[in-house]
Amino acid sequence: MNTQWSQSYQKRKKIIDVIFRSLFKLAGIVAASMIIFIFIFIFQKGISVFLPSYGPDQVNFWEFMTGFLWRSDQKIYGVLFIVINTIVTAFLAMLIAFPISVLTALFIVKIAPKPLDKIFITVIELLAAIPSVVYGVFASGIIVGWVDNVAQLFGYSTFGGRSMLAVVILLAIMVIPTMTSLSIVAIKAVKPELELGSLALGASKTQTNFKVVLTSAKSGIFAGLILGLARAFGEATAVSMVAGNKPMGPTWNPFDITRTLTSTMLSGLKETTGVDYDIRFSVGIVLMITILISNLVIHRIKKKVGAEGQ
Amino acid sequence: MTKARRIKDGIANAFTYLASSMTLIILVAIFAFVVIRGKGSLSLEMLTNNYWSKNYLVEWAGGDSGSFTRPEHLDETVVFSSKYGIGFSDEISHEKKRLIRVSYIAEDSIFNASTNATKGEGYGEVFTINVGDQIEKIEAVNETGTIVSMGTIFSDQAESLVMKMDTTSHLSSLYFKTPGGGIWGSLIATIQLIFISLLFALPLGIFAAIYLTEIARPNKFNQFIERCIEMLAGVPSIVFGLMGIVVLYPITAFFNVNGLSILLGGLTMAVVLLPVIIRSVQESLLVVPRDYRSASLSLGASQTQTIFKVILPSALPGILSAILLAVSRIIGESAALIYTMGTFINDAPRITQGGTTLAVHIWTVMSHEQPNFELASAISIIILILVLILNVSVKLFSKRLDRKLGI
Repeated sequence: MNTQWSQSYQKRKKIIDVIFRSLFKLAGIVAASMIIFIFIFIFQKGISVFLPSYGPDQVNFWEFMTGFLWRSDQKIYGVLFIVINTIVTAFLAMLIAFPISVLTALFIVKIAPKPLDKIFITVIELLAAIPSVVYGVFASGIIVGWVDNVAQLFGYSTFGGRSMLAVVILLAIMVIPTMTSLSIVAIKAVKPELELGSLALGASKTQTNFKVVLTSAKSGIFAGLILGLARAFGEATAVSMVAGNKPMGPTWNPFDITRTLTSTMLSGLKETTGVDYDIRFSVGIVLMITILISNLVIHRIKKKVGAEGQ
Repeated sequence: MTKARRIKDGIANAFTYLASSMTLIILVAIFAFVVIRGKGSLSLEMLTNNYWSKNYLVEWAGGDSGSFTRPEHLDETVVFSSKYGIGFSDEISHEKKRLIRVSYIAEDSIFNASTNATKGEGYGEVFTINVGDQIEKIEAVNETGTIVSMGTIFSDQAESLVMKMDTTSHLSSLYFKTPGGGIWGSLIATIQLIFISLLFALPLGIFAAIYLTEIARPNKFNQFIERCIEMLAGVPSIVFGLMGIVVLYPITAFFNVNGLSILLGGLTMAVVLLPVIIRSVQESLLVVPRDYRSASLSLGASQTQTIFKVILPSALPGILSAILLAVSRIIGESAALIYTMGTFINDAPRITQGGTTLAVHIWTVMSHEQPNFELASAISIIILILVLILNVSVKLFSKRLDRKLGI
């Protein structure tokens, strides 16, 4: 009797085990398949506007990819200049943010006196926690004002400060916490033997910090750069508050309004059907491809720079 | 060290000081801006009011005057009509418009006994004006029988309004607006969204994390799953919005929810949160000592029992911090929700309808022709406070976890 009960209990336990194990596995598969869904469905929807089956509003794929004019009211969609604008603004933002982030990280880990490093880690964490829409409010309240003043110094008149420069400054501010925290991790991971070796050879503390520590932490710092760049490309709400959505381009004058991929996707979201809506999915694909390619390029650079160091 | 070296080092160090003080300045500037611009609009009323002000018309059958005495506790600035027992004050709205607000109504004033003359629901029933409502237009009849009109429409101020009122013998109709510009609806929608997102994301995320750390053997397939989840973390949030529309919209449509809705937003946010939750739960599972598992299994417990009775309870602080991180992410998210929940500010949000969260509310008022900085900054203060509290508690949780495990 007792053994029988025990046997059936063991059996039940095994069955439950199998059920739960497959449940856990199913959860893992569902979570992973989301990214595949994203690629397949967005691609499908984004490509549909170029196909003849789309009907009278069909967009010419070639004109879309090489166009320098975006007039949704005239059903003219050209995305090339927007890609150029996006890359230029993100690149300039990186140019400002990268040195600040790396130096801040170095300061926090190696240079700051004892209580200061804790304070600055908190500062970076707080900056990372601020939602992008709040950055947007700040940018359209303060940064556009600065840009407007600077433009007046140079004798330009801006559209209320909405400009490429404002977008660049905003993006630079927004990627600093991402890049700084990754650089901190990278710098902390540098082996102390390397530093001691450098110091033993007679290099000063600062020389060691800049030449040895930063060089050894290069790989982690580049990882931060990739993440920061992805954030700069993908940032939507804050950028669209200060970009101004110029219908043609590319924009080279920093005081002129600009248009990025994300601000294009968010502009005029009143319609929920039609080619003007569906084309956003095509822009979404272009955005993802832009991020992908830029990541690959940085990976290449990283490999090259990494090889030099060895 | 040579002098030149020392100078060079000093300059290099100075640059790091400069860079880090820049980050500090940015942080202080953002907080200062938001607080300075927003603190004027921030109030309990703003939290509990509706965003859209409603227009009402009420009538009186016999709006006779009486005589009232001004209550002593009434503020100096309030202008009191002793004939009708009501107090008004002048105010400037955040849209910089002058308006007259009701700030006191006597108990047996005729303003507490009017009938609704607004077309639609509740027509003809008793309907009264409340403290805080804005007077647009009052029509009254004076001794000689001529009609007198007054109110904000006739560019009256509280003082002149009361003077005109006191010359009349009875009131006939009143057109007023309820106070608007509040965020109550968005607050409720945010809470609903948090609830729905966690409802879907938590079980899925925790189960997936358990699979990846406890069950999965390191083979090609499981590495692929992990890579996929990693990639999901790198997708920009606006693309998640697109995903919500094409992938999840059919699912909500299956449940008869058409159009943009909080449900769709919640499902989308669940996907956004998956990598966040999976990663932090995985981390908390990894620090649970191996011995716990071996001890439980050697006592004859099955793997399922071990997971639910031994491992998950020890990983609880990690799971809690995953929830807090998720909530703070939901509160701050905007781009994905603009696509899936819409940008229409809904005062009575339902899960099957669209609405805005606090963050999208900011986006909506900022993308009007005249950006409403005051309201946007006031909401930003609320969001910042919430997000900071959540982040601080995550830190406390992880500290406690570390201490418990003796690290």
